Amino acid sequence: MASEDRRDGEEDQAMKARLEALSAALDRRQHDQADRVDAEAANLRTGRAMSLGFRVLSEFVAGIIVGALMGWQLDAWFGTKPVLLIIMTMFGTVAGFWNVYRLASAPTGSQGGGTRPK
Amino acid sequence: MATGNAIDPIHQFIVAPLAQIRIGGIDASFTNASLFMVIVLLAITFLMIVGTAQKAVVPGRLQSVAEMSYEFVASTVRGTTGTEGMKFFPLVFTIFMFVVFSNVIGIIPYTFTVTSQIVVTFALAALVILTVIIYGLMRHGTHFLHLFVPSGVAPALLPFIVLIEVISFISRPISLSVRLFANMLAGHITLKVFGAFVALLLGSGVWAAISPLPLLGIVALTAFELLVAFLQAYVFAILTCVYLNDALHPGH
Repeated sequence: MASEDRRDGEEDQAMKARLEALSAALDRRQHDQADRVDAEAANLRTGRAMSLGFRVLSEFVAGIIVGALMGWQLDAWFGTKPVLLIIMTMFGTVAGFWNVYRLASAPTGSQGGGTRPK
Repeated sequence: MATGNAIDPIHQFIVAPLAQIRIGGIDASFTNASLFMVIVLLAITFLMIVGTAQKAVVPGRLQSVAEMSYEFVASTVRGTTGTEGMKFFPLVFTIFMFVVFSNVIGIIPYTFTVTSQIVVTFALAALVILTVIIYGLMRHGTHFLHLFVPSGVAPALLPFIVLIEVISFISRPISLSVRLFANMLAGHITLKVFGAFVALLLGSGVWAAISPLPLLGIVALTAFELLVAFLQAYVFAILTCVYLNDALHPGH
C-alpha cells in the first residue's frame, strides 16, 4: 500500500513537471508568434509609409512639371515667350501642393474607403 | 562613362533588336524588351493556369501564390472602389501582375527590366487614364466633368480652381508612370554602380581590402530592390483603383 502511494506521488510529480514544461513551451511559442506578428505589422507599416512617401514626392513633382510644360507649349503657340511659362509653372506648383493636400487629407489605403474631398 | 563596358550603368537599359521585322515602314522588330515581356506573360500564365489546375482544398505552393495574388488585388480593389469597382478587377489584376513580374524578373542578373522603360510604364498609365476618362464620360456624361469643378467655390476663383484641377488631373498619368520608371531605373543603376565599385577596388592594389564593403551594399540593396519591386506594383495598382473610383463616383 505504502509503496503504491509513493509510486502515485512520483507519477503525479512527473506529470506536474511535464505539464510545466509543456506550458512553458506553449508560452514560448505564443511569444514567438506574437513577435512575428509584430514584425510583420512593422514591415507593413514601413511599406505603407514608403509607398506614401513615393506618392507624395512624385505627385508634387508631376504637378510642377505638367504646369511648366503646358506653359512652355502655350508660349510657343501664342508667342508670349516667358510670361505663360512663369504663370503656368506657378499654377503647376499650386496643383502639386493640391495633390499632396488631397493625399494627406484622405489617405487612400485599403481601409480608406476611397472617399476624397472635392 | 568609361570606355570599358564593365563601368557603363546605362548599358543594361539599351533596347536591342533580336530579329528585324518591318511592317509597312514601321520598325516592329522583336527586341530584348519584347522577349522579356513574353517571358513575363508566360510566367504569369504558368502561375495562373498551373496554380489553379488542381483546385485542392488545401492549396499547394503554386496554388497558394495564385490565390494570394488574387485575394490581395481583390481586397485592394474592393477596399478602394467598393464592390462596384470589381468590374475593373481584370484590368487592375492584369496591370498588377505584369508590373510585379516585370519588376521581380528584372532583379535577376542579366535580365532586362521591362518597367525601366518610360514607354512601357507610360503606356500602362495612359491605358488607366483613358479607361477612367472613357468610362467616366460613358457612365456619367457631362457630370463626369464635375471632377474639375468643385462645388461651393466663389465664382471669381472658379477659373483658377478649374485650371489647377485640370493640371492636377493631367499630372496623374505622368506621376504614375514616372514613379515606377524612375524607381526601377534608379535602383538598377545603383546596383550596377556598386558592382563597378567592387571591380575597381579589386583592381587597385591595397584598396582591394575594402572591396567587400560595396559587395555587402549590393546584398542589402538587392533586398531593398525586392521590396521596392513589390511596393511599386502595389502603388500602381492602388492608384489605378483610386483613379477608377473617380470614374465611378465623380464629384465627391
